[in-house]
Amino acid sequence: MTSNNHRFPRAPYALLTLGTILLLTGSYLGLFVAPPEHFMGDVQRIMYVHVPTAWNALLAMTFALFCAIAFLFRGGDFKWDARMEAAIEVGVLLAFLLCCQGAIWAKPTWGVWWDWDPRLTTTAVLLFAFIGILALRRFVDDPVRRGTWSAVATIIAYADVPIVYYSVTWWNSLHQLQSSPATVSKSFHLPLRMNAFAILFLMTGFIMLRARLASLRLEHELAPPPSHELDAVGELA
Amino acid sequence: MSGTITGGWGFVWAAYGLTAFFLTAYAVSLFVRLRNERSR
Repeated sequence: MTSNNHRFPRAPYALLTLGTILLLTGSYLGLFVAPPEHFMGDVQRIMYVHVPTAWNALLAMTFALFCAIAFLFRGGDFKWDARMEAAIEVGVLLAFLLCCQGAIWAKPTWGVWWDWDPRLTTTAVLLFAFIGILALRRFVDDPVRRGTWSAVATIIAYADVPIVYYSVTWWNSLHQLQSSPATVSKSFHLPLRMNAFAILFLMTGFIMLRARLASLRLEHELAPPPSHELDAVGELA
Repeated sequence: MSGTITGGWGFVWAAYGLTAFFLTAYAVSLFVRLRNERSR
């Protein structure tokens, strides 16, 4: 651990502030300025928050994969372990939001809250796989084993990410094809892009703060016990 | 049946409200956990 953990750089707070302003502006444009979609009407406005959440959830998990590989191949540098834990937790938050937003969109468009469609099922598998990794980390006390096991589990769980992304093209899915500025009307671009950057900034700020929290916890975990506790052990002996 | 969805603003507000709630709750939980860890 370095003394960097005790510094409080402003970057994550600046990112969170910028992300919040962008999200409020993008959502305002998406809710009140952009026109309703021809078939889905106003319900389509959910896309301005749903699609950016999806992109960033997969991005957070991709960053977790990168950190897992870095941890395993960089001699167990705990900086990468802290970043991996942070990326997984933020990825789980976004994947959970993604499933909730998807269910809210599904009800008026498909008539059901949930369907065992390939896209929805693989996303749920992804969410629970990464929740499982967070649970695994809670049960392992040894930091080296915890980091190694969760890095390996992250690499395995990540195999589902490309399956989630391509599920709509590989199988006959109820879910529509991937939305991007190339596949939607130009009048929808601005709120979609603004919210994509907003959630990207929020995600990055969250990951930076959460990684700092993980580093502080590890620092306390590895610190020698206070002298009064050592005295008490000595008296017992 | 026209093939178009009319109304649905309740669903839109639910999606945005839920997103705002969970993002705010996560930010608050992060600040509280960081403060607690720093004061240990």
